Amino acid sequence: MGTKRCGGRVLAVVAALAMVTTACGGGGGSGDGTTLSMWTFKQTHVKALEAAAAKFKAQTGITVNVTAYTPDDTFTSKVQSAAASHDVADVLEVHAAGEDRVLGGAGITSDLAADVNDQYKSRFLKGTADTGLITEQVYQDSLKPKATDPGVHTGQLLSIPFTAGTFGVVYANKDKLTAAGVDASKAPASWQELISWLKATHDKDAQNGGITIGLKSSSTGLDWALEPLAFALLGPQDFHALYGTDKAKAWGSPNGQRVLEQYNQLTPYWTPGTQTLGIDDADRAFAQGKAAFDIGGTFTISAIQQNGLNPDKILAFPIPVPEAGVVKDFKLAPFALTGLAVSAQTPNRDAALKWLDFLTQPAQAGAFAQAALDLPGTDLGADAEKLVGPYLSSMEAAFGTGDSAWNPGDSTFKGPSWDIQAAGDILVKMTPLKELDPAATNQQLAVYNTSVHSGN
Amino acid sequence: MARRLRGREALTGYVFVLPAVALFAIMGLYTVGYGLALSFAQWNGFTPTWTWVGLGNYLDLIYRDPTIAPIVHGAALRTLVVMIAVPLLTVLVGFPLAVALNHITWLRSAYRTVFFLPQVTAGIALFYAWTYALQPDGSLNFILRHLGLGTIAQPQGWLGNPATALPTLIVVMVFSAVPVAMLLYLSGLQTLDAAVIDAARVDGAGGLRTMASIIWPLLLPITGAVTMLNLRNALQDFQTFLLMTNGGPGGHTLVLGLESYNLAFFSGFKPTLGLSSALGWILFLIALVLAFVNLRVLRSRA
Repeated sequence: MGTKRCGGRVLAVVAALAMVTTACGGGGGSGDGTTLSMWTFKQTHVKALEAAAAKFKAQTGITVNVTAYTPDDTFTSKVQSAAASHDVADVLEVHAAGEDRVLGGAGITSDLAADVNDQYKSRFLKGTADTGLITEQVYQDSLKPKATDPGVHTGQLLSIPFTAGTFGVVYANKDKLTAAGVDASKAPASWQELISWLKATHDKDAQNGGITIGLKSSSTGLDWALEPLAFALLGPQDFHALYGTDKAKAWGSPNGQRVLEQYNQLTPYWTPGTQTLGIDDADRAFAQGKAAFDIGGTFTISAIQQNGLNPDKILAFPIPVPEAGVVKDFKLAPFALTGLAVSAQTPNRDAALKWLDFLTQPAQAGAFAQAALDLPGTDLGADAEKLVGPYLSSMEAAFGTGDSAWNPGDSTFKGPSWDIQAAGDILVKMTPLKELDPAATNQQLAVYNTSVHSGN
Repeated sequence: MARRLRGREALTGYVFVLPAVALFAIMGLYTVGYGLALSFAQWNGFTPTWTWVGLGNYLDLIYRDPTIAPIVHGAALRTLVVMIAVPLLTVLVGFPLAVALNHITWLRSAYRTVFFLPQVTAGIALFYAWTYALQPDGSLNFILRHLGLGTIAQPQGWLGNPATALPTLIVVMVFSAVPVAMLLYLSGLQTLDAAVIDAARVDGAGGLRTMASIIWPLLLPITGAVTMLNLRNALQDFQTFLLMTNGGPGGHTLVLGLESYNLAFFSGFKPTLGLSSALGWILFLIALVLAFVNLRVLRSRA
């Protein structure tokens, strides 16, 4: 009797544990196609997605629960651990042209090729529709040692574009420009003019008249500012060669020196302590009037507005071309910043695909853009200005494609283990820290670039 | 002599022990074994299979990978500086404060509040409070300027200047460590045999001499414990560096713990989890050697 009672207790404990375990596994949807879960790493997207979910429920009866896990690395580890316990959300918003391939190659998200035909793809911005497609080149790269996306197969479509945009966008505070005697009605015509504007605002207010970018993540200086400047200065071929193996043109060469000398002109004008600010902190500092300029991407405007600065007070323009620049009609190529992927583990695949279709329809994409102040991957056509509002549509003037457009999403010319953080740390030592001059920075980047290639 | 349990009594015992054993096996042995195995593999945390590389990760970290080894070497040097500075300063600050707290009883409440505040504050809140205080327009610079010490204030903030960033983080770590050191010293001081101290005084020893020749040597085991505790923390800490500087500016505060974290979770999906695990095991082995040395020293003192 006693043993039976004891065994009963043990069973009860086991049963209770099983129930708790089951209850804790809240990642996936219900399995009956009426409830979906979606994870994103963008806090600024949550409200807009929830508004979309409400409309979607009214249309289809399907509930979508949206959860944000921020920052990016938290999202990554969340997906990582959830995948191990087969508890990934039905739909994921992922970094396009990177994370989507990693998750797809690992079998965590599924192939959408059969569900997204050419007609479906035609709704997306030109050049972005196939961001999630595994081309033969991507597949061959995935076979290399230390590739990030082993397991992908040619022809797979591992995500569809959700938001698009670009880096290299400068935001200026119109009031500060005007106070410094600068005409705030149009963008600076050249890099040199931007530097003269910086000098004017800095002379007016040394403490709060500078430029910020959030160099706590040192890579931001490199890929949001230096790279577009280098592209405009050198042209696409010589820009790509900076990261290659030809020492006459790679970092360490006169071309590298020219780029670094131009970039170094920012040194006197960084907002004090910008190297200690995170990306969000920098946007906040700009919105609070602690800096006259802020460098970011198309997505930055939502953060600035959330921090209380009226977009009417902002002048936005791409990094301007230096007077000696090769690319006179410099443009920023929009690329898919984030994509939508469907879990390979979901029992609600049909409902998840309906949700993707709904989110990327022009009307809904426009509504999302208005709410999140982020550009959608969907081509809004002639209705763009009406749908996304004046601030985002004005940025579209900076967009372009072709040889004169810098595409921050293209890293195919860099060594596969090129680490923007490590290279960014070297750049930060030049500016704003002034520990290295452009020549020494050029040499250190050359050593790093060589080591990246020798480690292939 | 222990009585051997039999039958139902034994079963009950096993049932009670089982959850603890199972938890230890899952949370301890399994994860440790998993981590050790991972240190011999390349993996990005997502792919279904690992690529075995033997000791490759250890060799890459120590000298072989030209993109990682130099970063690890720099981080190791900075970690060494932190490992020397934090325990030393914690003892130098904690011991006198504990002595003061032991003597000046009317100040004890205020002391307790001020010095134990870091222990009851959420770590992340504390780090952010420090970060804001150390900004160019933060409270530290503000106070210095109002005290007429504006020349000491850091125009780029205390965390933005390569010369001050690491020392500033060390001060923050010491500030967090001192309360525990004080607590340990205080408990030691309150359990000292009063007769020994009285005898020293009868023999003519002054306050300082009593402190240096009687109290300090008697509290050496506590100093050993405080040192060991802070050595381990200094070796493995990454959250202070992650939250306050992210290793910056320009990599000047990148330490081994943070590099291990970066390799695990911030490597752009490169297959570096094994490298991170290998670095973790290297840190563990260093900690093990330190613990062994510490034990030997304490034993020889005893």
